[in-house]
Amino acid sequence: MLNNEHIQNEISRTLQSLEGVERAKANPFLFTRIKAKMQREENGWGKIGSFISKPLVAIAILVLVMAVNAWSVINSGTNDTLTSENNNIAISDITNEDDVVASADTYDYENLINK
Amino acid sequence: MTLTTEMELIEQLKQGDEQAFKIIVELNQDLVYNTILGIVQYETEAEDLTQDVFIKVFENISSFKGESKFSTWIYRIAVTKALDFLRSKKRKKRFGFIQSYFGNENAEADQVKDFQHPGVKTENKERAVILFRAIDQLPVNQKAAYSLHKLEGLSYREISEIMDTTVPAVESLISRANMNLRKQLEEYYKEH
Repeated sequence: MLNNEHIQNEISRTLQSLEGVERAKANPFLFTRIKAKMQREENGWGKIGSFISKPLVAIAILVLVMAVNAWSVINSGTNDTLTSENNNIAISDITNEDDVVASADTYDYENLINK
Repeated sequence: MTLTTEMELIEQLKQGDEQAFKIIVELNQDLVYNTILGIVQYETEAEDLTQDVFIKVFENISSFKGESKFSTWIYRIAVTKALDFLRSKKRKKRFGFIQSYFGNENAEADQVKDFQHPGVKTENKERAVILFRAIDQLPVNQKAAYSLHKLEGLSYREISEIMDTTVPAVESLISRANMNLRKQLEEYYKEH
């Protein structure tokens, strides 16, 4: 354990450790990299990507998808009823048609025997 | 560089002159990189953000009216980018904590490492690592003001122009930063 005076001395020396600090040098090829980045963004996909990846946009898209899903689920309930009614009509039509076809078909031996 | 040359370069850049843009990048790249590096303390991210700053300069040069110094305008973009990065990192860290709570062990793993500023004198390197660790714990505005003052050697007036605040506000930020750093370093030296 260090004594208080020693601790204060250490703190002061640490706070002074940035005295005479020199500027950090940027990458010498920075301009080339900037140009490359600008070209990537210019082709459009970069901008679209960065736009979609924004949290607000991502959440808005998610909410929209969930709303569309909820809407389609709610509406599919009423549509199912209508569809099943239509199916019943269609099935009964087919059955009737089969009767007509079956009675008129001379190759329907089973029905011929029954008749 | 003389003021006339700088104004000429800015006018050329407004016309979309690539050569003028190249010169502006070369003249200001160390200023931007050093500012961002001091605040974010990650070299890869600092380089990436430096590129973004100059893209922003290129795209928004028409909005520079010459009411402030050009370097102040560039500093302002650099500080804003760096602080935005820190805020988004903080959000991700919070989200990572939630993920780790639900069993994703790698989610919280952050790039915890000791930052070594390349411009620090050799004899001060060890102490500077401890100081940067303490600086990293400061609130973002204190961190920005302290870094601009210590690493870029800017006056309180220049910092106030960059951070769009008053000189007393900057004085207060740096005074609180010093107080917080002392407190953290005291705890550190009591333990070590």
